Amino acid sequence: MAAYIIRRLVWTVPVVLLVIFMTFMLMKQIEGNPFRQTERAVPAAVQMNLERKFSLDKPWYVQYANYVKGVATGDLGPSLVLRDRTVNDVVKEQFPRSIELGLLAFGWAVLLGVPAGVLAALKPNSRFDYGAMFFSNVGFALPNFLVATLLIYFVSVKWGLLPTSGWTTWEHKILPSFTLGLVPMAYFARLVRGTMLETLQQDYVRTAKAKGLRWRRIVTVHVLRNSLIPVVTAAAPLLGYIITGSFIVENIFAVPGIGRYYVTAVSARDYSVVMGLTVLLSIIVIAANLVVDILYTILDPRTREART
Amino acid sequence: MSATQIAGRMAGVDAGAPIRQSSLWQDAWRRYVRNRGAVAAGGIFLLIVAWCIVAPLVSTHDPNHVDFANAYQGPSWSHPFGTDQFGRDLFTRAALGGRISIGIGFGATLAILGIGVVYGALSGFVGGKLDNGLMRFLDALYGLPYLPFAILALAIVGTVDFWTMVVALSIASWFITARVVRGQIITLKENDYVRAAKAVGVRWYAILGRHLLPNTLGVLVITIFLELPGVILGEAFLSFLGLGINPPDASWGSMAQDGRDAYRAHPHIIIIPSLAIATLVLCANFIADGLRDALDPRTKET
Repeated sequence: MAAYIIRRLVWTVPVVLLVIFMTFMLMKQIEGNPFRQTERAVPAAVQMNLERKFSLDKPWYVQYANYVKGVATGDLGPSLVLRDRTVNDVVKEQFPRSIELGLLAFGWAVLLGVPAGVLAALKPNSRFDYGAMFFSNVGFALPNFLVATLLIYFVSVKWGLLPTSGWTTWEHKILPSFTLGLVPMAYFARLVRGTMLETLQQDYVRTAKAKGLRWRRIVTVHVLRNSLIPVVTAAAPLLGYIITGSFIVENIFAVPGIGRYYVTAVSARDYSVVMGLTVLLSIIVIAANLVVDILYTILDPRTREART
Repeated sequence: MSATQIAGRMAGVDAGAPIRQSSLWQDAWRRYVRNRGAVAAGGIFLLIVAWCIVAPLVSTHDPNHVDFANAYQGPSWSHPFGTDQFGRDLFTRAALGGRISIGIGFGATLAILGIGVVYGALSGFVGGKLDNGLMRFLDALYGLPYLPFAILALAIVGTVDFWTMVVALSIASWFITARVVRGQIITLKENDYVRAAKAVGVRWYAILGRHLLPNTLGVLVITIFLELPGVILGEAFLSFLGLGINPPDASWGSMAQDGRDAYRAHPHIIIIPSLAIATLVLCANFIADGLRDALDPRTKET
């Protein structure tokens, strides 16, 4: 197992380098740089100084090496548009809100999705099961901008229960996090139902039943514990969902987080911010994958031999 | 085996109950048709596609005709879906938007399939160190959100049209497909007929082209409908963020964006295209489920 974990760790380094490289090369494809072709004409000397300050006069591999060095030391460089501010400042300011939003969304998903899946599996083909699965299918299909708009329309505008947008009090956080949590919720409900049904058919459950163990105890001790292992593996794709969804949700509910800022930075042509955020998000996903893979190896001994 | 035995066997076949001959696809079709939800989903899916193709041809409204006197109308007989802020007929525009949304959806799905097949087949067929490397790479990238990369790609090209959208949506979405194809190739490679083909000296490209890839077709068909929802939603997200296909062309996503500011007074402008997306995605999910049960019965869900 240790060998697998070490191998997995070692492989992460080139992947991170490659992702930074791809992002870097994508950014290089954008015509010109922010100091050229602007409305205000900049004197040639000033422009040269600016380019030197941001190392834009160096060959690409030097710029790439500098950037990688920066990422490794936790410095994502200066913002090209905001004066006197670095990408790190932007991250420090915006990122906590996105993390909070993501965690709250995840909370909704665990709170409602997992029990729905468990109950559906305990009574398969019941009315509740059909209802939960219908909800799960619809949750996957509805675009989150429609969910957000409908929630704002009814809950905020018509009934006046919650604020329409912003990110200050806890009341502001309910609608955005619920909207963002809808897909993970649907995912959990379906996944937990599937794994539960599978576990319920295992021999050890039958043995436990034959032994005369109380049903409640069988479910909590034997079935639930084993059914929730695959849920751990779902964390990585769900993180992707939450990041993607946060772009829309933060935009609609005016949550000042990373997802919203990313779009703003793209239209403001603040390339260093865009690049920094892309690299940051990618590293987070890669790290989450690593943790999940290692956790999975520890939780489920059967995978230790199978995976090389 | 003697001649009489063979003759006897053949006679037996002739005399006894006929052995039903059916191909994988005939079997799959039979299983698919038995799944009512999947059949209904397939029917609705085809209806939507047909409507998108036909409605603009027979419509009397010009989809880009601006008529401020008739702006923001609710659904009526002359405008079944109402009109938008420029007084354009939403019924015709929704059908045209569907063409773009569905077209981009299938385009990007096929691109994802293309990249996935090349990467997965290479990895699975060559095997060894290359396979190990390519797969560790995928392990690490699993779940990478496609949206930032799609936005980057669109920012680079500037003007957004059909093809740039297809590229943007497929650039970071092919990881799972590649892994699935690789898994298929690895399993198929161990079959006796492949070993036999190798033993008699069939060239590698013939083995790949005749024995391996055709057998992944079933999985690829399932993958089309597994990937389609994500791609269609992705296009809608990008359009909703204002990064969609350039006007006056519109997809369902950019039509929804048009309705964003007027959602309080005129919610139909955002609801209609959004529901169209939702219906299509829901159908695609059901079709994928039905296809999986039909083409790959071993993985049938309980």
